[in-house]
Amino acid sequence: MTVLDDSPAAAPQPAPASSRRPAKGNPWHPTVRGTLLVTQIELLRRRPTVKGWIFYGLLLAAILGLGVLLAVVSGDEKSSTPMELVLVLVLGAGMLIAPSLAATSINGDSSEGVLAPLQMTRLTAGDLAFGKLLASWLIAFAVLLTMTPFLVYAFTRSGWHVGELIVVIGVILLVVLTSTAIGLAWSSLAARAVASVSLAHLTTGALLLGTLLAFVFTQPLVSETVTDQSRYIDYEALTDEQREAYDTWDWSEVDPSTLPCRAPDDPYEYGVPHTERTAWLLLANPVVLIGESSPIISFETWEEDGRAAPGLFAEMHRWVSDSRVGPSESDLAGEQWDECAMLVADQNGEVYNGGGGDWEAEQEANSVYPRAPWIGLGVQGVLLAGAMWIVVARLRVPYTKLRQGTRVA
Amino acid sequence: MVETSTAVLATAAVSARGVARSFGSVHAVVDATLEVQPGTVTALIGPNGCGKTTLMLMLAGLLRPDSGEIRVAGADPRHDAAAVRDAIGWMPDQLGSWDNLTCLQTLTLMGRGFRLHAHEARERGAALLAMVHLDEFADRPTRVLSRGQKQRLSIARALMNDPAVLLMDEPANGLDPRSRVELRTLVRELAAAGKAVLVSSHVLAELDEMVDDAVFMSKGRTLGDEIAAKVADARTRYRIGTLDDALLHRVLAEARVPFDDEPTGAVIRVGSEEEAAQALAWLMAKGVPVHRFGPAGSALEQTYMTMEEERR
Repeated sequence: MTVLDDSPAAAPQPAPASSRRPAKGNPWHPTVRGTLLVTQIELLRRRPTVKGWIFYGLLLAAILGLGVLLAVVSGDEKSSTPMELVLVLVLGAGMLIAPSLAATSINGDSSEGVLAPLQMTRLTAGDLAFGKLLASWLIAFAVLLTMTPFLVYAFTRSGWHVGELIVVIGVILLVVLTSTAIGLAWSSLAARAVASVSLAHLTTGALLLGTLLAFVFTQPLVSETVTDQSRYIDYEALTDEQREAYDTWDWSEVDPSTLPCRAPDDPYEYGVPHTERTAWLLLANPVVLIGESSPIISFETWEEDGRAAPGLFAEMHRWVSDSRVGPSESDLAGEQWDECAMLVADQNGEVYNGGGGDWEAEQEANSVYPRAPWIGLGVQGVLLAGAMWIVVARLRVPYTKLRQGTRVA
Repeated sequence: MVETSTAVLATAAVSARGVARSFGSVHAVVDATLEVQPGTVTALIGPNGCGKTTLMLMLAGLLRPDSGEIRVAGADPRHDAAAVRDAIGWMPDQLGSWDNLTCLQTLTLMGRGFRLHAHEARERGAALLAMVHLDEFADRPTRVLSRGQKQRLSIARALMNDPAVLLMDEPANGLDPRSRVELRTLVRELAAAGKAVLVSSHVLAELDEMVDDAVFMSKGRTLGDEIAAKVADARTRYRIGTLDDALLHRVLAEARVPFDDEPTGAVIRVGSEEEAAQALAWLMAKGVPVHRFGPAGSALEQTYMTMEEERR
């Protein structure tokens, strides 16, 4: 039990740590100070090397140059296409980058053995969760900043107002934040980085494509069967004279209104989907959410409104509104095309409009139908809160359960 | 550091009673009971996979025990886990470091995690780096450190919060001989400053020099009094090497001194160092040509080996 005399002397121990107050209970909620400290640690750890900064600079310069070139070369008539492309690109890049960063943040730290030492400090599970969320989101944000030149160029041609752009950018950043949280949640659930990264991207894919597929595939479930009410010339019952006139389209001898008319014996039946019941699936889609957060462009009055011609987003808004409104009464009454009436109208020099509703008026009405971003925002909010709840719960120590096949570290 | 030791009062700094924890069908710790008093060093010894690290994690407040009672610095990790973690300096068996942060940054950020003011965390980090002789690496990233240097950084990290209890899981792993001696000295100094130290290691000869008490673990159970008796017995064993083993055996047999016959020489039991001196003098007086006389190796190692035999 004796200490060897010839052992090298250790340096004197430092004075006791004094600037602390005692801990109570087992708090888990995030604190501003703790969250910022964890963010700082994460950003320091992920800070680029010199090569990284050079790459980032070159990328920025290239994009800046391209942006300037585009602005110079292109004409000055308004167009919404560049704006829509840039926004979709920013959303897509954000939804790719942020989860990739976040999805290795917890299980990666754990297998590197740097998670548990932090959990042994006064930092709470909430501090760790929100610090990591903030750090990954900020890095994704820094990458998205490189798109700014494109955005400025696109904005100048779009006919949008600054306020509208800020709202849409805000919504995109929220979607990216939610994607980050989902990545973190998978990282806290899956033991291995490969699994959590793929699951995070699958979740993104489910939001982007899954909602569309679900919308399409649930249509038979909400369809109402309607009967085709169309009427046709009864060809068999025509007299020879009438048949002659009908085949040659020469109505000088025969009055079209005298032709025998009939409905088919076995009328065609088809489904009309009540899309107003499943339109929320579309509204949950992040790209639709961006569209629904963008300004409404009227199909009729866009020029007087100082807008660019209706583009991708306007078309999407019109389609989403169609789905939200659902089938009209005339849609549900079934197809009512009347060949006999058409012949009469044609003979009188009128345009036969098919017996259904006024399709063009419907299109125009739906193009300015009120926007519906709230379901999409709600989905994003619920996913964000749910994911962070999982992360905090999984980071709380003492652990009751461990990730399958892992150790505490 | 003396202040922290008075805060612990007369109770044990760490106590565990009947602690159990299983992972699914694997019973990592079945029944563990131990106490570590302030100002002492206790060894936790056992074969690989006997549950040492799991027990340490439960003591540290990182893992919830299925049953049993734990108190660390008077707090129950079930209700006051934050206080427990705050009172503990934990040196894990896994060496992790933020590889592109410098040593000093690492310690400063850790200190701030313990809610030290930035300048205080920095000063304390610098002082601890000097203590573990890593001051020349203070501003270099931790990825350049060798395994042993990382081990020392880990020790410094464990001391950032000036803990009353120090849990060290395999601290001597990967250390060079000089660093091992330094570790031993450091651990004794920390104990002298009133800290309770629990240290697990496989280098049993190393522990012999360092610990006041030892807890043996096997198959998830801490072994009780009979193993303590074995350690005490092992500490009394002295090995005698002579030029004439036949003479030695005859002399011991005539005097009815019990001894273990060994391939070379013999092993006797002596009660104390004084008794050992007397025994040597007596043997010399009997004309036995003694060329070696001393403790028969590591007491902990001998006990460990008997335990291993029992296991088989």
